[in-house]
Amino acid sequence: MLTREQNDLLTASGPGTPIGRLFRSYWLPALLASELPENECPPVRVKLLSERLLAWRDTQGRYSLIDEFCAHRGTSLWVGRNEENGLRCPYHGWKYDWTGQCVEVPSEAEESGFCQKIKLKSYPLVKRGDVLWTYMGPAEQQPPLPEFEFATVPSNQSYISKRLQECNWLQALEGGIDSSHTSWLHRGDLERDPLHRGSKGNTYNLQDSRPYFEVVESPGGLMIGARRNAEGGKYYWRITQWIMPCVSMIAPRADHPAGGHFWIPIDDENCWVWNWDYHAARPLHQEEVEAMKNGGGRHVIYEPGNTFRAQANKDNDFLIDRAAQKAGLTYSGIAGFAMQDSGIQELMGPVVDRSKENLVSTDNGIIMARHRLMRAAKALLEKGARPPGADPEHQRVRAASIVLPPDQPFKDAASEELKVRPGLKHASV
Amino acid sequence: MLSESARMTTAAEARFRINAPNSQPRTIKVIALDAACADVVKQLAQARWNRATFLMASAFAAPARKDAPFSMSGWLSDLAGRTQDLVDEIEAADLVVMVSAAGENAAAASVIGEACRARKVMTTALILHSESKSDEALSKTLSFLRPYASMLVVANGEDYIESMLIALRA
Repeated sequence: MLTREQNDLLTASGPGTPIGRLFRSYWLPALLASELPENECPPVRVKLLSERLLAWRDTQGRYSLIDEFCAHRGTSLWVGRNEENGLRCPYHGWKYDWTGQCVEVPSEAEESGFCQKIKLKSYPLVKRGDVLWTYMGPAEQQPPLPEFEFATVPSNQSYISKRLQECNWLQALEGGIDSSHTSWLHRGDLERDPLHRGSKGNTYNLQDSRPYFEVVESPGGLMIGARRNAEGGKYYWRITQWIMPCVSMIAPRADHPAGGHFWIPIDDENCWVWNWDYHAARPLHQEEVEAMKNGGGRHVIYEPGNTFRAQANKDNDFLIDRAAQKAGLTYSGIAGFAMQDSGIQELMGPVVDRSKENLVSTDNGIIMARHRLMRAAKALLEKGARPPGADPEHQRVRAASIVLPPDQPFKDAASEELKVRPGLKHASV
Repeated sequence: MLSESARMTTAAEARFRINAPNSQPRTIKVIALDAACADVVKQLAQARWNRATFLMASAFAAPARKDAPFSMSGWLSDLAGRTQDLVDEIEAADLVVMVSAAGENAAAASVIGEACRARKVMTTALILHSESKSDEALSKTLSFLRPYASMLVVANGEDYIESMLIALRA
């Protein structure tokens, strides 16, 4: 459990809040690069950390992320004309460049220099991999660009999607580091989903629904090992990496691509779930990409209209199928890994009240994650300490599934497998 | 028309959640397995807890004579140094938390862990690690604890124990 004050502290990410400041210490995924496909393309509205922003790409291909609203009368620049290295408000013609600097106020004499006095708040927007990343903190504390492996492999080796989730970021994140739910919530899908099936690890998972857990602090966050019995007295380990503040890397299965998530607050009641899959050693197969586009693995099918909202959503009761639930085809009645997680988490309410929960010892991954978030937020506020996870070295890690002898700490026995090894495939069972 | 799920997941609806206790207090025994953790546990015991009891695996502080008969009652003591019966303590527990420092001898975990297993009491082991301790030291302690803990945590700071116990409503 958390006290109400702790719950408020961890779930509020707007400007000026402790967790908001923490998030503003990192590069965060803001848009898919495909959302701004060409120079002078239409701008895109973006809300991040409770700030309304506008992303656009100018005549020279420079990416821009600025305050959504015109400084003159406050209309949305989403209706702006993207023209000649600037975005022009159609209301009275004020024009802004990619840094948010106003460069024209047609009603004022050019010689007055008035436009120089007008500048919209802006944040850097940088393409890395197929993602546009932003950093929303103080310029002098900007960390190096992100080094997550999925964003550094060639494009044909990765697939990235994002999905609107209509609840607070923390309850979504906590689902991602709660390994014990897999044997229940997802049990019907392990051998059916094209991006999971055929793995020996599935057998271990299904044979043992009460795994042992080990949680180990890492420089950038946590390693959460779930241990099940394998043959010959050995242990089958699934090791999840949590990188602060909101990244989880999921242990892969067989030769399927490895994946993970970001949970990025939109506001306090909504978040973006970013989903990536990549193979470190080969291009993704066409069948794999098709499966991801069709909602396989950690991805979803969207509702019509390019909203990034899943087709199964709370407006249609997540398309719950009680017959499939009764027959054991799905444990929750909701189809697909991603929607099973999302449905369960959204039904907790927009911000779950953790003062009422009853955690058990296997929830230590969640307890530790909260503890580290609060500790880092406090250190940042009181000492200005750069939080764990912002250092690229903390990001160059992998999740792993691996069979190990019984007497070895997974952290040591799998130390190489838990690091990025460019060009080499993941340790995966 | 909004679906039932859409209506029921609003912030406004959250106000109507039942505001009544949904659990009974759990009895948690926190046991320092080595001298290095004894002070940590004593310090923790100063805070206000619901039903947490703090104990030491005292056999290691005062080894039994070689010719003395084996007795489980010799394995635990309370903070005042009084011997406590291991079986009685375990039987009264919903959860046993064993605390050890990296590099220390956590052999007491075997007796405590076996007693918990026999009485189907959940166990959590917590290893306090620090940069000054080697990975080998950590491995040594981990090898003592792993067979007897359904949840094992390696924490880099003493403050985590308090957070964990609060989170578990100790």
